[in-house]
Amino acid sequence: MLATIVRKEFTEQWRDGRVRLAAIALLALLTGALVLGRQSTRTLAAERTAAAAATRADWLAQPAKNPHSAAHYGIYAFKPRATLATLDDGVDPYAGVLTWLEAHKRNEFAYRPAQDATGAQRAGTLTAAMTLQLLVPLLIVVLAAGAIAGERDTGTLRQLLALGVPARTLGAGKMLGTAAALGVILVPAAVLGAAAIVGLGGDAAYDLPRAAVLAGCYLLYFISWLALVLVVSARAPSARTALAVSLGVWMLVTVLAPRLVTELARAVAPTPTASAFAKAVRDDLEKGFDGHAGQAESMKAFERRILAQYRVDSVAQLPVSFAGLALDEGERLGNVVYDRHFARLWSGFATQERVRALSGVVAPVLALRALSMGLAGTDVAHHRAFADAAERYRRTLVAAMNGDMTRHAVGEDFDYKADPALWAAVGPFTYEAPSLGATLGEHREALVILGGWALVATLGAIAAVARVRP
Amino acid sequence: MLEADALTKSYGDTVALHPLTLRVAPGELLCLLGANGAGKTTTINLFLDFVPRSGGRALVDGLDVAEHPLESKRRLAYIPEQVQLYRTLTGLENLEYFHRLSGAPPLARGELRALLERVGLPRAAVDRRVATYSKGMRQKVGIAIASAKSARALLLDEPTSGLDPQASNEFSALLDRLRADGVAILMATHDLFRARETATHIAIMKHGQLVDRFAAADVGHADLERLYLDHMRN
Repeated sequence: MLATIVRKEFTEQWRDGRVRLAAIALLALLTGALVLGRQSTRTLAAERTAAAAATRADWLAQPAKNPHSAAHYGIYAFKPRATLATLDDGVDPYAGVLTWLEAHKRNEFAYRPAQDATGAQRAGTLTAAMTLQLLVPLLIVVLAAGAIAGERDTGTLRQLLALGVPARTLGAGKMLGTAAALGVILVPAAVLGAAAIVGLGGDAAYDLPRAAVLAGCYLLYFISWLALVLVVSARAPSARTALAVSLGVWMLVTVLAPRLVTELARAVAPTPTASAFAKAVRDDLEKGFDGHAGQAESMKAFERRILAQYRVDSVAQLPVSFAGLALDEGERLGNVVYDRHFARLWSGFATQERVRALSGVVAPVLALRALSMGLAGTDVAHHRAFADAAERYRRTLVAAMNGDMTRHAVGEDFDYKADPALWAAVGPFTYEAPSLGATLGEHREALVILGGWALVATLGAIAAVARVRP
Repeated sequence: MLEADALTKSYGDTVALHPLTLRVAPGELLCLLGANGAGKTTTINLFLDFVPRSGGRALVDGLDVAEHPLESKRRLAYIPEQVQLYRTLTGLENLEYFHRLSGAPPLARGELRALLERVGLPRAAVDRRVATYSKGMRQKVGIAIASAKSARALLLDEPTSGLDPQASNEFSALLDRLRADGVAILMATHDLFRARETATHIAIMKHGQLVDRFAAADVGHADLERLYLDHMRN
């Protein structure tokens, strides 16, 4: 009986020209998004790999020079383009993709594609994730709003129930039949998606499990929508009302709620603007904070401490380069300030992310968005992981330069020139993205909320359909 | 086979059906006559368990329809006043779909096609989408759906509405055959002529009450019309 209903639902949906047109349009959009995403990923990945190799080569090609000059010459760290960013570029266009690693400073990320985009480009960026998150639910509304209400309108529901068809079987058939019609779009889209990420040079062992979990999350999301629209259809007095209510819910949940929640997140955990953040860091570096002395005063105390430690009266009597020690101490003091400010900044972003993910209770798209970006490797957590890795590398590189200077620049200080072999002593920058387990742990609340949505909506649909009367 | 035992239905203070007791035995066809709002469709809806009863019982083959809603429906077939079908499916596909869901033994496509032709659907229309059908053609598909189910009881709510005279005659002949096979039939209708022609028993309803009941053979066409009008006037 169930198979009969599913088959008939599928046939009806497929024979409806409007549905076919909408499906073809959606498939075309998805294909376009995937093609553009693949092209973008391939280009960006190649450019970043080439740029990373070039900056490493430039670093190694430095002539003999003072290590501190080399530390100021610095090196760029390029955030690798995640393969699954083809599907969801997340915060990448806003967070920046490269940072300059140099002495004294933890620089902000540069090259944010969104900054250079026009208003229209920002509003209309087409990604597979956006298409799946916004437009597939819209198609589900079109396909399923009349599932029960339409049968009631036309009178066929009366005839079906008079046959002794259990309402739950009818509901399940409607759900599966609509899912089968959706499958005509989503299965080819999934194949295209897989084709789009294959051959991009990613690590299959890393990408494939993530892609599978990502597909599972989208499946839960679509099930939630399908069940939700079925509840509306079962309860609405007419197909027209069911469609109007479902469209209203879609608009509220997928379009309005994310914007409102973004404002709410900013209100709950305000984060400074880039210029305010930079000024606050600069002030603390110069003046100190919370009882900590400013750099100038601290360095005087440091000199006294070093002289006492080596039992000498002046820096000229030290067996090491005081300039090297002082630079290292300056880094240490600066790092305390940076760590404090960045910890606060990351904490603010994390709270904002959490508010958005928890708001998935009312708008499942928010829970899905958090998971989608996380699994694609383009969320704030991945950006932070890269930023922290780059900062660790900066500190290692600067410490190596200062250490060499401390040991070898006795009496010469800034006149000392290190052998170019020193540059190669600092290995290239490498970055290992967070594991799938870490990502799922980071987004466990969103995962629970999305699963909860699918479960509750399905149970709601079963209950609503069971009470259906002609 | 079909039995109402002090069956009642109220909507708040409004009584739609006063305690109704009736019985339709196998091979009998009981016609419910009455004006709009007399309680005919409410009675059929109660037998289908489409509305919850307020009192009494409705039984199909001894099964209380409220306690055994699915099993009781498996034993009856129903033709509404306006048979509604899926517009994007053909007549044959509609029949196939409804028949598969009815729980009746499966029939081959050829048998279903023959059934459609037997109820008077033009051969050329069988494989055409129902969107192009007239009301009468849809009604014939509805009759085919009910016939294919081979149910032991039949509920009909103005089934010949929209049928041309020839199709109505064929429908009457079909009812005769079903009755001869032992099917119990309860039919609500305004059509006095058809009631007199096909029924074994006739009941007249007014304002939710059964006001008269008699064997069809006991009255002529003219007597039935006079009797009906007398009840409506009083």
